[in-house]
Amino acid sequence: MILDDDPPAVKLKGVGDGFWITLDPSRPEQLLKDQLVKLFERLKHLAINAKVVIDPGGTEGYDDLIQNLGDFLKTRFDVGIVSKPPKKRQVAVERIRQKDLNRGWTRHRSEVLMLRGRVRSGQKIEAKNHILITGDVNPGAQIMAGGDILIMGRLLGHVHAGYPDNPSAIILALDFRPTQVQIGEYAATGLDDKKTDRVEFASVIKEGITVQDYLGANPFGRLPWPEVV
Amino acid sequence: MEGRIIVITSGKGGVGKTTATASIGAALALEGNRVAVVDMDIGLRNLDVVLGLENRIVFNIVDVINDRCTVRQAAIRDRRIENLFLIPASQSDNKDVLTPTGVKRIAALLKKEFDYIIMDSPAGIERGFENSVTAADEALVICTPDVSAVRDADRVIGLLYARSITPKLVVNRIMPAMVARGDMLSHEDVMEVLSIELAGLVPMDDQVVISTNTGVPLVMRNDSKAGQAFRRIARRLNGEADLPIEVPGAKTGLWNRFTHKFGLKK
Repeated sequence: MILDDDPPAVKLKGVGDGFWITLDPSRPEQLLKDQLVKLFERLKHLAINAKVVIDPGGTEGYDDLIQNLGDFLKTRFDVGIVSKPPKKRQVAVERIRQKDLNRGWTRHRSEVLMLRGRVRSGQKIEAKNHILITGDVNPGAQIMAGGDILIMGRLLGHVHAGYPDNPSAIILALDFRPTQVQIGEYAATGLDDKKTDRVEFASVIKEGITVQDYLGANPFGRLPWPEVV
Repeated sequence: MEGRIIVITSGKGGVGKTTATASIGAALALEGNRVAVVDMDIGLRNLDVVLGLENRIVFNIVDVINDRCTVRQAAIRDRRIENLFLIPASQSDNKDVLTPTGVKRIAALLKKEFDYIIMDSPAGIERGFENSVTAADEALVICTPDVSAVRDADRVIGLLYARSITPKLVVNRIMPAMVARGDMLSHEDVMEVLSIELAGLVPMDDQVVISTNTGVPLVMRNDSKAGQAFRRIARRLNGEADLPIEVPGAKTGLWNRFTHKFGLKK
């Protein structure tokens, strides 16, 4: 005998452009399938090609179950895409974001060495973290930074960002014509040294250094909020 | 009034430091100043040859520093140009016989005797360079329009700034035809990297070789374009700071200026 006061193992809810199924993954798979059949038979043609999200109640580690049920729904009811619920932002990340927004960036975690002027041949500048130079870097000059290197001027010298092993650093210059570029453990020479009207930056993409138009690629334009780096 | 010490330097060798020293020194003397040109290239002296005074050397700068003679005894007077004196280098010693302290001591003596003391620095940035710039009030950096000379000049400019000397730039051996074809850096390209005050632009000139070999100062030859350029540099150093910089090869004729002004020609 099935007890009527037993809570249902599967719940269905319409969301936006599809269906959200919340289920109790501790119940036997066959029972879940039976309940799904009941619900989906009622949907009739609405189930065809629908987007379905299977949510095991916020618990992790039921990927196989979701896969099996997804395949079952696809063959039986012709649903479209079956997926897990999207991951929520990690608590730690969310906390940093809140801190950034609330404090108005008054408490910086960033360490930037900011210089003004011309770095000449034979001069070597080392920064623990990021470096920003409003001026030019001449051929024969050397800049090394643990983080990013940003040159508001001509870059003609030798630059090493992300020293010694941070491949996520970038090198940006208004006029990007360096003799040699290194980011973390990657190095690149023989870059196209023609003058362009564009602001360019170098970053590591797929195990190699790539130079792109900064405004075209807009690498940080899609970050959800301004980060302190 | 005390004289001014101007050091002529470049970092790279063979860009025309000695020619520039001889020419600017002679031109300043022709302007009526009492000028000493000092060869600081101990062991590889050349300035005496360029000035045609090699057979008149008795004492040299090392003798002055070692108190074997006075500054007046070592200074060789040029017979063609009044008020031009050469203090030659020693050919048998090396750069280590001079020390910055010794150079400062004779620099003070020279300043009392002369209006201008032009020091010809050796190539490189080691002891010889140190000795040359130690007492300098001003510096002229000679650079040719090629990448390696620019790189070395840039290094030297950095070192001069570190000693609180603000250098001026002379771009030497400009070949207007090659610049026009894009085969040679233009003086604008050089300035873009070095970005210091320009003292003058000197065109490539065959007369320089003739002058060096015959020992007749370039500025005494009226047919020499380089000589004329050096005379203008000397006038700029000698107070005429507003004297316009003439760009070698640029057309300055009346007709060209007229057409340029009315936008007919670039």
